[in-house]
Amino acid sequence: MAAFKRKRGTLGAEKKAKKVKFVSGGGEELNEVDEEIKNEVTIPAPVSMGKWTNKERVLIFSSRGINFRTRHLMQDLRTLMPHSKADTKMDRKDKLFVVNEVCEIKNCNKCLFFEAKKKQDLYMWISNTPHGPSAKFLVQNIHTLAELKMTGNCLKGSRPLLSFDPKFDKEPHYALLKELFTQTFSTPRYHPKSQPFVDHIFTFTIADNRIWFRNYQIIEEDASLVEIGPRFVLNLIKIFQGSFGGPTLYENPSFQSPNMHRREIRLAAAARVREKQMVKELQKIKRTEAKEEVDKDVTADVFLTPAEEKPVHIETEAPEPKVVKKNKHKAFKRQRMARR
Amino acid sequence: MIIESRSMESAEEDEQLGLESEDEDSELSDDELQEAFAKGLLKPGMNVLVDKPKKLVNNLEGLKQCLADFRKDLPWVERLDLTNPPAEDVLAKAEGKVPNPANGDVNADDDFQREMFFYRQAQATVLEALPLLNKNGISTKRPDDYFAEMAKSDQHMQKIRKKLISKQLIMERSEKAKKLREQRKFGKKVQIEVIQKRQKEKKAMMSAVKKYQKGMTDKLDFLEGDQKKGKEPAQGSKKVANKKGPNAKRKYKDQKFGFGGKKSGKKWNTKESFNDVSSFRAKVAHAKGGKGGKKGKGGKQNKRPGKSVRRKMKGRS
Repeated sequence: MAAFKRKRGTLGAEKKAKKVKFVSGGGEELNEVDEEIKNEVTIPAPVSMGKWTNKERVLIFSSRGINFRTRHLMQDLRTLMPHSKADTKMDRKDKLFVVNEVCEIKNCNKCLFFEAKKKQDLYMWISNTPHGPSAKFLVQNIHTLAELKMTGNCLKGSRPLLSFDPKFDKEPHYALLKELFTQTFSTPRYHPKSQPFVDHIFTFTIADNRIWFRNYQIIEEDASLVEIGPRFVLNLIKIFQGSFGGPTLYENPSFQSPNMHRREIRLAAAARVREKQMVKELQKIKRTEAKEEVDKDVTADVFLTPAEEKPVHIETEAPEPKVVKKNKHKAFKRQRMARR
Repeated sequence: MIIESRSMESAEEDEQLGLESEDEDSELSDDELQEAFAKGLLKPGMNVLVDKPKKLVNNLEGLKQCLADFRKDLPWVERLDLTNPPAEDVLAKAEGKVPNPANGDVNADDDFQREMFFYRQAQATVLEALPLLNKNGISTKRPDDYFAEMAKSDQHMQKIRKKLISKQLIMERSEKAKKLREQRKFGKKVQIEVIQKRQKEKKAMMSAVKKYQKGMTDKLDFLEGDQKKGKEPAQGSKKVANKKGPNAKRKYKDQKFGFGGKKSGKKWNTKESFNDVSSFRAKVAHAKGGKGGKKGKGGKQNKRPGKSVRRKMKGRS
């Protein structure tokens, strides 16, 4: 099967330009010669010949028990990062340092490993595989590429710009994370699967002690942007000196494990219910308590006005009826109205 | 023996108290507590078991060392990373609220503000990076004839477009419906007002007329009042025609049927009307036999035959 090569950027080119794969040098050359004779199309040497020096490869894979959102997030990351490789799901029975061996087999020097616990919580490991540092995060608020609110689009495999918050330079652990992110997420120049244009930008911002990740498409030169996705929030747990192990370099003081978080919520709810019950019981007791009897009414004297007593006069005869005098000097109504 | 066991207990106890462990200590027996008190480890009063504050690792030196080892010195073109604060918020400045001190710590709960913060950060990066990219010969604009695979398929983009259009349509429709509702309400209000006005005028007119009828006022101002109001130089003849027409008809009908309300006794017989014999027709009054003559002619037609004759007729038919 001849590899279908086309010159990049020719007029009237197909919608999908196939990218050249560096499989084996010899086979390619033969094909090239054949094509030349058949099509008489000038096939240039691959652009990346000899120029691709930054050999970064990222292994993106996960453990068992992930849900659909995580799976899509992984796929999206693989789409956006042409220097990534995929692998099958890892059994949770194996210890974590097995990941290092998997990376070595795949010839990768960075790793993004997603671990799902209880089918609810997602943890992400990012590490520099042979000896370098690694970090564990709790991932929250995942939105994938496929969401209809993310209206932007970018070339598959184009190189991203990376944008960091100035807070990343202030603390040493953030500085280390910044370096880790830069090396992992930036696509090497002249990578054979990459596109030569820069049309999207990853932003990492620190807010509320978490790292927020966004991906925007650059539409115009005046920096009007549209979000492409995916987006997620990383909550740092620990930074280790070794890859997937080793001494702990940093622990996040404001991190609370999701279990503790859920427990707190439950306890709060339980406490509220208990308090209500206690209040009710107290009220019952108060009601059934023997009430004090008050002999003297304190407010009885309030309306006593000091005055002389009048003599009591008993009327034995009924009073005379009042004489009603009719006023006959009023004019008739009609005449009154006429006068008006 | 006893002494030994006691010393053993106290040794254990020392360990326990020294470590201040959270659980299991609630089962310290009274004896042990007494001994500890005697030794001066426990003070009188309420003793609460306190958790030792968890020491969090923050190995600054280690972090810096690690960073130094791990960092790769690549030219900027390879990494394409920038660190910058967000760009100027044009909208907020225009509105006059500039929460600059709060800018350093964006409120993560206010969704809109937070997203705008990220957006502006990206904008600032783009503005800074474009000249650098141009310098290094990396283009950001792709030519119109460059077709390549996109991260999202065309089908997906179609879906997105359709959704946006449908959202717009829904909004437009709801706007239209709102406007219509408003108009209808307004129209209804105007209608009610006009009806009420007419009713008021009618009432006033009727009461004025009744007053005149009953003799309370002898001015005919109300009629003229109508005319005066009705005369608008702009409308001219049409209005005049309108005014005279119904008035004449109305006048006649009023004359014939009265103004309504309690009859004022105008139709009752008075002395004058009783003595008025002008509508007496002598011929009609004294005509005799008119009905008789007619009766002779058509009598046969009208007269019913006797019983015997009827029986005979019945028998025959």
